[in-house]
Amino acid sequence: MLSFLPVLLLNAFLACVCASSDYHERLLLRPLPQSTLLASFNFRSNESSTAIEQQNFRYFPRSFAQILEHAHTKELHLRFSVGRWDAESWGQRPWYGAREGGTGVELWAWIEAQNEEEAFSRWLTLVNSLSGLFCASLNFIDATKTVRPVMSFDPEGDHTNSSNLHLLHGNLPHEVVCTENLTPFLKLLPCKGKAGISSLLDGHKLFDASFQTMAVDVRPVCDSNDGGCSLQMEQSVDMVLDIARSKRPRDNPIPRALPIGEIECDTSKPYDAEDTCYPLDKKVEPAWKLTELFGRPLKGACPLTEEMGDEGESLCINTPPEREIQVNTTGQYSEARTALDTLRCYKLPVGADFDLVLPEQKMTTGLVRAQPQLFAARSVNGHGQERGSVQAVIRNPSKDAVEFVYLESLPWFMKPYLHTLRAHVDSLTENPVKETYYRPAVDRQRGTHLELRMIIPAASTLILTYDFEKAILRYTEYPPDANRGFDAPPAVIRILSPYLSTDKKGIYLRTTPLLLPLPTPDFSMPYNVIILTSTVMALGFGNIFNLLVRRFVGMDEVSALGAGGIKGILAAKLGRLKALLGKA
Amino acid sequence: MALISSLLALRRDARILKLPPYLSALLIIVGVAWLLVLPLNEYSRNTYVSENALLPGQVHTYFTGSEHNVFRAYRQEVAALPDLSIEERNNKLADLFRESDLKVAKQKYTYQVADTNISNENVYAVLQGPRADATEAIVLIAAWKNMADEVNYSGVALVLALARYFKRWSLWSKDIIFLIPGDSTSGPQAWVDAYHDGHDPRTIESLAIKSGALQGAVAVDYPAGPWGHRYDKLHIVYDGVNGQLPNLDLFNTAVSIASGQMGIGCTLQRMWKHSDTYEERLQTMLRGMLAQGLGHATGPHSSFIPYHVDAITLVTVGDGWHDEMSLGRTVESLFRSLNNLLEHLHQSFFFYLLLQANRFVSIGTYLPSAMLIAANFSIMAIALWVQSGRPAPPPNPTATKLVKKPLKKLKFDGRHYVEVPDEPKNEKEPSDSDKKEDPTENTTDTTPPVTAVSNNGSTALVPTASLQVTERALLLPLLFTLSTHFLGLLPLYAFNLTPAAELRPIFIVTANILTLLPLLTAWLLRFSFAPTPQQTTLIQSFSLLLLGMFLSALATLNFSLSFMVGVLCAPLSFVRERKGMVASGVWYAVLVLLNPVMVCQVACWVAGVGVEEVLLKASEGWAVWGLWTQVVVWGVWFPAWFAGSVVVALGFFPE
Repeated sequence: MLSFLPVLLLNAFLACVCASSDYHERLLLRPLPQSTLLASFNFRSNESSTAIEQQNFRYFPRSFAQILEHAHTKELHLRFSVGRWDAESWGQRPWYGAREGGTGVELWAWIEAQNEEEAFSRWLTLVNSLSGLFCASLNFIDATKTVRPVMSFDPEGDHTNSSNLHLLHGNLPHEVVCTENLTPFLKLLPCKGKAGISSLLDGHKLFDASFQTMAVDVRPVCDSNDGGCSLQMEQSVDMVLDIARSKRPRDNPIPRALPIGEIECDTSKPYDAEDTCYPLDKKVEPAWKLTELFGRPLKGACPLTEEMGDEGESLCINTPPEREIQVNTTGQYSEARTALDTLRCYKLPVGADFDLVLPEQKMTTGLVRAQPQLFAARSVNGHGQERGSVQAVIRNPSKDAVEFVYLESLPWFMKPYLHTLRAHVDSLTENPVKETYYRPAVDRQRGTHLELRMIIPAASTLILTYDFEKAILRYTEYPPDANRGFDAPPAVIRILSPYLSTDKKGIYLRTTPLLLPLPTPDFSMPYNVIILTSTVMALGFGNIFNLLVRRFVGMDEVSALGAGGIKGILAAKLGRLKALLGKA
Repeated sequence: MALISSLLALRRDARILKLPPYLSALLIIVGVAWLLVLPLNEYSRNTYVSENALLPGQVHTYFTGSEHNVFRAYRQEVAALPDLSIEERNNKLADLFRESDLKVAKQKYTYQVADTNISNENVYAVLQGPRADATEAIVLIAAWKNMADEVNYSGVALVLALARYFKRWSLWSKDIIFLIPGDSTSGPQAWVDAYHDGHDPRTIESLAIKSGALQGAVAVDYPAGPWGHRYDKLHIVYDGVNGQLPNLDLFNTAVSIASGQMGIGCTLQRMWKHSDTYEERLQTMLRGMLAQGLGHATGPHSSFIPYHVDAITLVTVGDGWHDEMSLGRTVESLFRSLNNLLEHLHQSFFFYLLLQANRFVSIGTYLPSAMLIAANFSIMAIALWVQSGRPAPPPNPTATKLVKKPLKKLKFDGRHYVEVPDEPKNEKEPSDSDKKEDPTENTTDTTPPVTAVSNNGSTALVPTASLQVTERALLLPLLFTLSTHFLGLLPLYAFNLTPAAELRPIFIVTANILTLLPLLTAWLLRFSFAPTPQQTTLIQSFSLLLLGMFLSALATLNFSLSFMVGVLCAPLSFVRERKGMVASGVWYAVLVLLNPVMVCQVACWVAGVGVEEVLLKASEGWAVWGLWTQVVVWGVWFPAWFAGSVVVALGFFPE
C-alpha cells in the first residue's frame, strides 16, 4: 500500500493561486529511511502588481521587490545548497528537484532587456544587489560563470511580453552556505522567524543537516479569468535531518560511545559475552519531537497566514497511518487527515507553542518512497597536471525511456574537447544524443556552455564522457588555497518526458560538483626569488650608489679640509672667534 | 688574456689527462662519505609539521567504551570469514558495512603475473560526509591479508568498527572511503587505478561508487586473531612504488599523534630497537634507501603514492601493552587531522631520508651525494673524449729506428698555429733547406719529427705529432653504444614476461651469458672491426657519458636507486683496455662480479631470500605496480657494464 503520495500532496499545495495579496506557509515532515527526516518548509507570498506599482508592500519584501525592479528582473530563482541528496536511500527529491540547487549558490533569472549586452549589464546589477542582500559572494558571478541555457529552463511565471526576456544562469559551486545567508533569508519572511513554522529554522540545526537547500523563487502569476496579475515569491527550505544527530543537545554534541547497557546486543551470536557485543539494529522508528530536532520550539502560527480551509494548516507530516503522533500544545489546534490518512495536517494555534511528539515505535508498514526517474553521478577521471576526463553515469531504473537535457557549464580553465564527447548506452547502438548546444569557452572571458538533449532507454545506464585540458593560470589568478583545486559547478539534468509535471516547474536533478586540480606553482618559490633578487639588487645598488655619490679625495687634500665632525665645527668656530677677537 | 692563454696552453699539457681518474675517485669517495655524515646532528633536522591545518593530536578522541565491545564482536565476525570463499567473505563484509548505513560496492580484479593469475575482490564502503559535496575523500584501508600473507583480523575489524563510529560524527568535511582489498599490493593497485580510470576494464572491474579527489590514505595492519594481541610499537611504512614517498607532513602527523597523543612508540624501516645512535640512524637510512631504490610496494599504501595520494601504513609490532583501541584512537585522530586539511598536502617535503621517527635529511642535503657519483662518470667521459682526440703517444725516444724528420714552420698568432707563408707548405718536403733548423736535430737520429714554431720572433721545436689534428672515428663507438642499450631490452623482456617456473632457468642462463658475452663480443669486435685504441676509448667515453646523464637525472627522481647503481658502476670509470692477460683477467673478474645478475644473486644470498621470489616480485611489480627499477637495471646499468666489460675483454685479444 502506498503510504506516501507526493504527487497528490504537491498538487494540493499549489491548488489555489490567487491574484490578491496573501501569505501561506507550510512545513511538511516526512520520515526517510536510516532514521532521517525530511523537513520541507515553504513560504509563499503574493502581492498584486498594482500594489507593487504603488510601492505598497504588505507581504512581499520591499527590499527584494526594489532590486527586481531596478534590475528589470521578471522572474528569479536563487538557491543555496549544502550537501547532497542521497537518492538511493531517500528516493525522489522534494519538489521533484525544482526547488533545489547545486552545491553552493545557483541563480537564474529572466531579465527584460532590448539586447544581450543590456541584459548582461542588468544581470550584473542584479547579482551585485543580491550579493548585498543575502551576504553571499554572488557578485563573483561574472561573465565567466554565466551561461544562457536554451533547453534546460523554462519560465514558471506568466509573462505577457516574453520576447524581450533573457535567461541568464550563474553558479558558485565553492560558496559555503551558512548562517549569514539564513538570517537575510528569514528577514524576507513576513513573520521573520519569530512565529509560524519559520520559528523552527535555527542555523545550528539547519547547517548540521545531511542535506539542505534554501530557495527563493519570484515569478509573476496572472489569473486567466480576470487578467489580474500578481508577483509571487516562494521561499523554501528543504533539509534532511539525521534524527540521532539532531537530537544531541547543543552543549554536548559529541557522539560518545553509549554505555554498554544502552546498546542492544545480539545475544544469538555464539561469542556474545559481557565484553563482546554485536550491535543489533532495532529496526524501529526512532522517537523524536520537534523541539528536540530543531533545537527550539514552534511558536504557534504566523498570524498573517490565511486561516481559511486547508491553506491554514501549516504543519503536515507524511507518515504511515499507524505511526503514533502526540500533539503537545496549550493552544487550540485542529488536525486533518488526507491522502488515505498518510498525511496529517495541523492548524497551529496562534501565540502558543506547538510540539509534535513521536514515540519510538515498531512499524509494520515500511516507508514507501517514490523512486526517482534518473540517478546521476559525475566524477573526474585521470590524473596528472595536464588533462583529465569527466564521466557522468546516468541510470534509468524505470520501464520507460526517459528524455532529458543535460546542462554543463564549465569554467574557462577546464577546456573540454568536444570531439571526445561520447554518450554510450550498453543496450543501444545508436547515439543517445539527440541535440547538442555548445558554446565554447573564451579564455578569461566566458566559460563553456554545453547542453545535450538525450534519450536513455528503459532500465539502462548512459555513460557520458569527455576529455578536457587544464589551462595554466597566471599566478595572480590562483585563490589563496590554490592547492585545493578548482570547483566545477554541478551538471543540471532536466527530465523532459515521459514524466510531465503538472505545473511549470519541471523535474530536475543535479550532480555533485567536481574538484579540478590544476597545475599549481610552488608559491614559495617566487617569494624566495624575490628575496634573493632583492638582496642582490640591494648589494649591487648599494655599491654603485656608494661609488656615484661619494666624493673621492686625495690624502693630501684631506688635511686642507681640516677635521670633520664636531671637532671640525668647533675648530672652525674657534678660528672665526679668534679672528674676530684678533680684529678687535 | 694572459690567464686565458696560459689555460689554453695547459689544455695541451699531458698532465691534464692524469688528473681525471683521481678527481673521479675523489668524487666517489666524497659521495659515499657524504652519505655517511648525514646521520650526524649537523646534517639532519628534527621533523616538524609544516601544514598548519593538520593540528595533529589537538582533538580528544572518543573511540572508547562500548566501541570496544563492538570491536570485539566484529573481530569475532571477521575470524569466521577466512574459511569462506572470496565471494561469501565479501558479501559478509558488505553486510557489516551496510548495517552502518554506508554505501557499499565491490570490485573484482585479475592480474596476470608470470603466467599465473592473481585474482581477488575488493570491497569498499563510502561514508558520505554529511556536509561534504563529494569533491574530496580520504581512504582507510585494511587489506584482508597483510604483506606477510597473514589474515589481518583485527585490522579489518577495526575498520568496520571505525566505520560504524565515524558515521555518527557530523564534522566530516570529506567523504571517507573504507577499503578492504583482497590482498596487500595488487588489490589496492586495482582499486586506485580504477578510481582514476587508469585500469584495463577487461580484467579489472570499474568502480560502481566513486567520491571526490583522494586527499590521503591510511592503512592499518594488525593481524592479531580473535583473542587479540597487545602490541608494543607502531611501525610506520611509508615507501611508495618506484621510491616515491608521501608528503612528510602525513608521516609527521602520524608520529606526532601516535607518540605524542597516544604514547605509542613509532618505529620505521624494521628498526625494532632504535636508541638514536649514529649506527642505528645510518642503518635506518640505508634500509630506507634500499627500499626506495628497489621501489617495490611495501604495503597497501604504496599503490596510492604514484597518484599523488599521500599514504602510509600503520603496522603493529612487538609485544607490549597497547591494545586495539589505542590504534583505533590513533586512526581517529589522524582522520580528524586529515579532515582539517583545506588543501591537498603540499607544504612539506616529498623527498627525504628518515633517520628515525623524528629526524630527517632533506633533499638539498643528501642529493649532492648521488650527484657527485653521477658526476664522476661524466668527468671520466669528458676525459676519455679528450684523450681520444690526442695523437698516439710518441714513440719511445730510445727506439733505434731512424725517423725521417719532416719539419714545418709554424707561427703562433695568439690563437692558432699558422704556417709561416714564406715556408714551403709541403710536409713531406725535406727540411734540410731550412736555415733555422735546430743544430741538435741532426745529431740524434732517434728523435721524433719536429716542427719549428715561431711566435713573436721566438722559435720553438715541437713534435709534429702533437700539432696534428686527430680525427675521431665515431661511427663504430656510436653504433656499439646504441646497440648495447637496445640489447638491454632482451633481458628486460625475458624477466618480466616469462612464466614463473622458467624464471630460475632464465636467471641461470642470463648469468652465464652475461659472463661470456663480453668476451665473445670483444673477440668478434677485434676480428671483424679491429677497433683502434681511439675507438675503444670512445666506446667507453660514450657509455660513461650516458651513464652519468642517466644517473644524475635519476637522482632527482629516485635518489637511492641512482646512488646504488652509481656505486656499483664505480669501477667502470677506471677500467681500461689492458695489455697483459693477467691485468685484463683481474679486471674482468671484478666486472663479472659486478654485473646486475651477479649482484642480484649475491644480494639475495646476503638477504636470505630466494632469487625466484625476488624475480617473481619484480615480475609482479612490472605487471601490477608499474615498477621501473627493471628499466633502470637493464637500460642504464647493464649497457654501461657491458661496454666496460667489452673494453676490458679486448685486452684478451691483442691486435
